[in-house]
Amino acid sequence: MSETEPKTANPAAEPILAGMLAEFDGPEALLAAAAKVRQSGYRRWDAHSSYPIHGMEQAMGIRPTLLPWLVLGAGIAAAAVAIWLQWWTNAVDYPLVTSAKPRFSLPANIPVAFELIVLFSALAAFGGALGLNRLPQFRHPVFSSKRFRRATTDGFFLSIEAADPRFDPAATLALLESLGPTAVEPCCDPAEARKVPAALCWAVAIGLVLAVLPPLWIARARMTTSDQPRIHLIQDMDFQPRYQSQAASPLFEDGRAMRPVIRGTIADGQLDADEHLDRGRSGAGWAASFPIPITRENLARGRGRFDVYCAPCHGLTGGATPDDLKREGRPDKLLAYGPVALRAMERIEGEQPGYNLWVMPRSLHEPSVVTQPAGQLFNTITRGLSTMPSYEAQVPVEDRWRIVLYVRALQRSRNSRVENVPEALRSELK
Amino acid sequence: MKPMTESTDGRGEAKRSPGIAADETSLDGLMPEIPSLLAVTGIGSLAFGFVLGALQGDGWSCFFHAYLANYCFVVSIALGSLFLVTAMHATRAGWGVSVRRIAEILAANLFLPALMFLPILLPLAWGHSGLYSWNDPQTLAKESISPAKAVWLSVPLFATRAAGYFVVWSLLAWFFLRRSTEQDLSGDPALTVRMERWSGPALVALGISGTLAAFDWLMSLEPLWSSTIFGLYYLSGAVAGAVAALILAAMGLQAAGRLRSAITVEHYHDLGKLLFSAVIFWGYMAFSQYLLIWYANLPEETGWYRSRLAGPWGGVALALLFGHLLIPFFGLLSREAKRRKRLLAFWAVWILVFHWIDLLWLVMPGATGEGFTSALIDLCLLVGLGSLYLAGAWQTAQGLSLVPLRDPRLAEAIGFENN
Repeated sequence: MSETEPKTANPAAEPILAGMLAEFDGPEALLAAAAKVRQSGYRRWDAHSSYPIHGMEQAMGIRPTLLPWLVLGAGIAAAAVAIWLQWWTNAVDYPLVTSAKPRFSLPANIPVAFELIVLFSALAAFGGALGLNRLPQFRHPVFSSKRFRRATTDGFFLSIEAADPRFDPAATLALLESLGPTAVEPCCDPAEARKVPAALCWAVAIGLVLAVLPPLWIARARMTTSDQPRIHLIQDMDFQPRYQSQAASPLFEDGRAMRPVIRGTIADGQLDADEHLDRGRSGAGWAASFPIPITRENLARGRGRFDVYCAPCHGLTGGATPDDLKREGRPDKLLAYGPVALRAMERIEGEQPGYNLWVMPRSLHEPSVVTQPAGQLFNTITRGLSTMPSYEAQVPVEDRWRIVLYVRALQRSRNSRVENVPEALRSELK
Repeated sequence: MKPMTESTDGRGEAKRSPGIAADETSLDGLMPEIPSLLAVTGIGSLAFGFVLGALQGDGWSCFFHAYLANYCFVVSIALGSLFLVTAMHATRAGWGVSVRRIAEILAANLFLPALMFLPILLPLAWGHSGLYSWNDPQTLAKESISPAKAVWLSVPLFATRAAGYFVVWSLLAWFFLRRSTEQDLSGDPALTVRMERWSGPALVALGISGTLAAFDWLMSLEPLWSSTIFGLYYLSGAVAGAVAALILAAMGLQAAGRLRSAITVEHYHDLGKLLFSAVIFWGYMAFSQYLLIWYANLPEETGWYRSRLAGPWGGVALALLFGHLLIPFFGLLSREAKRRKRLLAFWAVWILVFHWIDLLWLVMPGATGEGFTSALIDLCLLVGLGSLYLAGAWQTAQGLSLVPLRDPRLAEAIGFENN
């Protein structure tokens, strides 16, 4: 039953006529008056009583509220958000198997969806009711009437705002008086009522400044270093009551906290059943093709993994090419060997051959390596070869294939022929 | 939400509301042959179902399962009505006075279910185990039922408990109907106070006895299975069914020219809200039971769902999810759906049908028979038991007023407005 806030701005310092208030002696009189005012075409007016009067909606011509639709929309949105959020976090972004259920299991997601529907609906109902009633409102014309204070106890009032387009001091007054009120009075806002109170401005300003402090403090903490231990905000996440690996536990008969693999089961993601992807085989021999798409992203990832795991021995370029050896006898050490290989070479310099066990890493550009199928290179990374260890445990299977992809690119670039360059660009070669 | 000038005593409203005419409040002159007609239909249907069940040649498995499902359906309407009566007293509901007597009559009829229970009890006493497999010592041993449970599920204790339920329910129903009709004559407001005072203990007794009855009659069909929420699951469905039955009964009486001025669109609106909330509560119970069993995944618990989610009953389970929850949820959501009589009648019938399907879903997967004859037996027994129950209710209502004529809140109820 609420109407609007006053909007007329008048810079003059004298009181402004903001509306007209009429008092009635009972609910029936108020109902009849409301029906007449509605017929007169006023829009910004309201009836005030201390309790709801049946039939007032019809008398005032208040249409059914939009609020149920807002709440319904919020509820449906909440269901969608809850299901999406759980699907994204549990099944896509950080796939996690819980209680041997599928990663995305609708039954497990219903409680969260239910709670979120309740939350969103309640917030929509609360905020929607405030918003549709144009609250909070700092001032209303009727506030200047002393008589109006009885509206919350035993008064029956009808107010018409000056902001209404049909408002005319004389005509409105005449209309109200024709409705049989016990009293009619104009409501005047004091001039200063139009201004926002200074205290409120200060409160808002101080509140804004205070609100900026925590983010600033967090930003500073993230950008600087400190010798203090970090603050543990969420204690039970940081200090979980759990066993470390290899720890003892009284819970189990064998006294171990770590549980052996259950016979006849395979852990999630460890099936290793794909001959091509997991073993690099195709039919009877090594696979020549890649089980991953050949894309720039995969190549870049392969380069990154190569530089981390392979370059320490093989060098950033993957070793010397036959041309390098022909040209100089010894290639550029820093490019052709990684730091581990270089240090080994330093250590064994001057020692008699045969007195050390160091085997130089093989150049990836030797013809015997260049001609190997991709699957064989993959197998070497997975299983290791002579003194090269297995990288199966450190490097996930897709990344091993990406490394093979990058090795192929390295081999291509270091052993390239003029024929490999597109004809249009050959003239640019020196 | 009434105007303040009238809320202090309600006399103002009584003056304004039209008085209830005497011919509006009784069944007199409304086809006196109806009860005997219903009784004949009921006995005929039961006999037909009995013959069909005998022809099945499955050791009466199909017949007794169908009988139990329909029996629990009829009892649920009575129990749900008893809950409505006690809940109205417990909450001092002013609006509900207009429809309370109908619920009282539907609930007071509980002596009939006691008789109807004999066809379930007697075969048990004669050693029949086609319905309750725990009546066979071999099954108990095979399914490794604990000794305590085996004692609990023995025929003498089972029969004693059933008798206990009927005594509690009949006493409660009789108490509330008698006090209320007493008030029709005396107009003594102290009777209202007395009913309100007893409504709390009555609700507790109803909750416990209803839960135990659901455990005994429905849950023990699979003696190994247990679910503590199962009683509430059954009772929530019972309340939904009873509200639907109450709506239809009120509409039927109004169509026959009764209670025209006592029941208004406002009461249907409130009954619609109750129906809506009962449907949601049923869904809440059903899902709470399902989620825990689904999550824990223990074989002795999932077995019950396995026989009800796999095969043809899986389709019924899905139909229940939509028909007993999601579709009526959106159907009853809007204000208009509850205030338009025909729409509300549609949803009341809808809920009754799905409440019935719910009970079939609970009971029938244990039966051996399937297909058309089985469905025909289900329907025969529904018509049979339902008609007998209605005949009993009609008989109870003879000579009673259809509204609590001198209830102190009747004026408030008639003048009641939603808003």
